[in-house]
Amino acid sequence: MPFGTDAGIFAVSLVAGLVGAVAGIGGGVFVVPALTLAFGVDIRLAIGASIVSVIATSSGSAAAYVRDQMTNLHIGMFLELATVLGAIAGALLASVVAPSLLFVTLGLVLLGSAALQVVRLADIPGPAVAPSATAVRLGLVGSYPDRNLGRTVGYAPRRIPLGVALMGFAGLVSGLLGIGSGALKVLAMDGAMGLPIKVSSATSNFMIGVTAAASAGIYLSRGDVDPRIATPVALGVLGGALVGARILPHLSNRAVRLVFAPVLVLIGLQTLARGLGLA
Amino acid sequence: MTPERFRAWVSTVLVIGVSASAALFLLGFIGAVAVGWAGSLTGASTGTADSTDFSTVGAGLAAARPIAFAQAGLLVLVATPVFRVIVSLAAFALEGDRLYVAITSTVLALLLFSIFVVR
Repeated sequence: MPFGTDAGIFAVSLVAGLVGAVAGIGGGVFVVPALTLAFGVDIRLAIGASIVSVIATSSGSAAAYVRDQMTNLHIGMFLELATVLGAIAGALLASVVAPSLLFVTLGLVLLGSAALQVVRLADIPGPAVAPSATAVRLGLVGSYPDRNLGRTVGYAPRRIPLGVALMGFAGLVSGLLGIGSGALKVLAMDGAMGLPIKVSSATSNFMIGVTAAASAGIYLSRGDVDPRIATPVALGVLGGALVGARILPHLSNRAVRLVFAPVLVLIGLQTLARGLGLA
Repeated sequence: MTPERFRAWVSTVLVIGVSASAALFLLGFIGAVAVGWAGSLTGASTGTADSTDFSTVGAGLAAARPIAFAQAGLLVLVATPVFRVIVSLAAFALEGDRLYVAITSTVLALLLFSIFVVR
């Protein structure tokens, strides 16, 4: 591979890691089209590289998020139960289900969610509502230091069963389609469970590495991961994620949504295009 | 175990995993610029193995092949989230948090099942 190609892939991956760390996603939305369209990489290897991007974003950003109390370890581990189960079900169903209808449905859901993000731009984390007995028993109540607001923000998840169901769906979709897992996780925590957007993003980032690792074995054994492509992707994404994770605590909630909404539109459009056979 | 210690443990596992895999990827990349991906830094004969075949990673590392460094970097990267779950399990156990020991053990079992069994 010529050196310029490596530099180009590294640069795209740097952006993917940076945006991914802030938005709570794995960056496949940037890596896959860039590799296939700009660098002529086979789609199979591009998807294999996106798994690398997801794990690198997750581990690269979570090191800082966990230390800085942005990630809720209990919520993350509790919901991982649902996502990993969903991911296994998705991987097993992949040869049975015709994915085009699913791609179209998911695409529309993501585009709708993007509109919702714009509506909620002005939201700021309010005073914590009284936590439900379930939230207390499961140890899901927490707080995080918001460097932008200059105070500690308490939170407690609402609608836990809905959140668990959506997390299972996020796992299913990532196992089945290999796309949108991080975006759906953020939406489940931010939208359904009413967690602060920054906690949702940081906890999603923490979780997507585990979901991706669950399917990485399949991709590696199929020969879908080429180390020559993974090298610039991983180095770029790790660099970007380290920077992104330093930025997030200082961003306003509005800024995080302003990053997240266009990302949702991009993932939504890509998913729609794949469902309609356009990509 | 205080929540701070718990977070420090998990964070440290992630830092070690990320640093080790980044170092291996970097070594692979520098080596590839020097002798090519299929070459060898010890001057062993040029490899012909498929770069996506991970069964040769041990022999490749012994011959200091750039491709083997990148493969090892990938394996460390993929293993990092698994180690993170294992360390969380140990931390929940030390806290005496039975509910989360059960939850984390289940996640770990499902994760290992998915990595090694589901194809």
